[in-house]
Amino acid sequence: MNLRLYLQTLRWNRVRLAAIVVASVGWGMLIPVVYVAFADAFKQLANSGAFPKELLNFGSGSLFTLPGALTLGLQHPLAIAFVGIFAVGSTVSAIAGEREGGTLEVLLSRPISRRTVYVTLAAATATLIAIVMLALLGGQLIGVAIQGVGDELDLGLMPLVFLNGLMLWSAFAAFGLAASVSFDRHAPALGLTLAYLLINYFLEILGSLWRDVAWSQEYSLFHHFNPGQILTGDADPVDFVILAVAIIIPVVYALIVFPRRDLSAPS
Amino acid sequence: MDAEPMGTPQAVIATQGLTKHYGKVEALVDLTLDVQPGEIFGFLGPNGAGKSTLIRTLLGFLHPTRGSATVLGLDIVADSVEIRRRTGYLPGGIALYDSLSGADALEYLADLQDRGSTMRQELCERLQMPASVLRRKVRDYSRGMRQKIGVIQALQHDPELAILDEPTEGLDPLMQHAFYALMDDQRAKGRSTFFSSHVLSEVERICDRVAIIRSGQLMALQNVDDLLARRKKKVELRWRGVAPDLTGIPGLADVEVKGDRMRATLQGDVSGFVRAIASPSLEDLTIEPARLEEAFLEYYAGDEASEEMRG
Repeated sequence: MNLRLYLQTLRWNRVRLAAIVVASVGWGMLIPVVYVAFADAFKQLANSGAFPKELLNFGSGSLFTLPGALTLGLQHPLAIAFVGIFAVGSTVSAIAGEREGGTLEVLLSRPISRRTVYVTLAAATATLIAIVMLALLGGQLIGVAIQGVGDELDLGLMPLVFLNGLMLWSAFAAFGLAASVSFDRHAPALGLTLAYLLINYFLEILGSLWRDVAWSQEYSLFHHFNPGQILTGDADPVDFVILAVAIIIPVVYALIVFPRRDLSAPS
Repeated sequence: MDAEPMGTPQAVIATQGLTKHYGKVEALVDLTLDVQPGEIFGFLGPNGAGKSTLIRTLLGFLHPTRGSATVLGLDIVADSVEIRRRTGYLPGGIALYDSLSGADALEYLADLQDRGSTMRQELCERLQMPASVLRRKVRDYSRGMRQKIGVIQALQHDPELAILDEPTEGLDPLMQHAFYALMDDQRAKGRSTFFSSHVLSEVERICDRVAIIRSGQLMALQNVDDLLARRKKKVELRWRGVAPDLTGIPGLADVEVKGDRMRATLQGDVSGFVRAIASPSLEDLTIEPARLEEAFLEYYAGDEASEEMRG
């Protein structure tokens, strides 16, 4: 890993990171407020039978319990947008964007191997994702403390939730970087990575809302990010294994493909 | 093809049968050449001839299809990182990090180079990039300023070998001359430069040897002086009264007499010609030196590329 490139990559993202951290903390704080305000109403609604209970779920989250509410907050499109800016946006730009802009040539004319460049950018991306995850979880914990519902939560399990989230988004980031090293242009890498993210999301949400196709969730990486299950002490190690595999495959691919690619002059 | 002995052990660049194919397109074909220490080596060819392909192959951006090459005695495939540590590279039409200031961009690239930036101050002074300009963001720079930053980043760590792709593109005439002086100093210091260009006058001005490439194939590899010495010079005479006797002058051809003027071409030694025409009736004599452009165009005779170079 190249420390100078790592620090510079973080520096380039600092303004965006600061804005997203603030937004993430705010969003995280809001979730316990919504839970406290609406949990009973949702429970009554579910028990009344007016609505099928599935329709009151969102992915693996719900507003029936605090762990479920926290899950909902972390799987909500807003949270996905916050983390996705780095896991998708930054990763596809990292190589393909620099290549398209011509700056990759200047970078690679330094004594840095392509593998080192890849590993450094991957580490920087993981750092950015970790910071946003910490902001989201930190915001949620602040909200929990403010609402005085800390007794519904086993705080000792929060690091595992963090790890689970970090692994989920690292899997998408690894895919984004793999796409980024494969194309000379930003647009196809972004399209492919966004498609991958959206398909995963669609399979998870579809399965949660329509029980007949609940099987589709098994094929979604989001289904293996389940803070609710972790916070109730039912963490499934298989989820972590699946996410680890989803990280390793694109990383290995990129480490093989990137050093072997011909990088002709940018047009 | 006029070729000189190749691949001497001390060569800073030595290629042997270097070939690069893009699918069915042959970008480089069996290229064998060498660049000697302390030499400024010009690499000539129109766009698409294979100049950038060779540079990119030497620096590890492209992988050779066949053949081998060394840079500073290091294998271009196995030792690419070390080669890049010891060389400086200016890409053609360089792109820089727009969000950084000129000073920050140079500092960042020097840090990544990991060899210090002993020449930065001098380069900034010679290329007229004062601190006030370096403080501005790269995005606000003109093309010429970006090119100057490109030259500085390539040379600031005092590399043993500089590989410069179209280095004077975008520089004004004043800065072009500052750059030529810089190249002369590099040569005097024993530094080597591999210089790709399609500006023939500047190659003629600063290069020791030149290679001419066409469709990925080496057409010529010669000393610039030798190449020009073999070319025909244009001579023009004007006299009063009796015309000088021009018969039997070795190397004189294409003689065209109009009144008191004569135009011709001259190949070889000038002194015999001057002795032969010496006469009190001689009023004016012009000997136009041979230009690299003519030599180059000869290799591209009938090729559209020659039109591009002429332009």
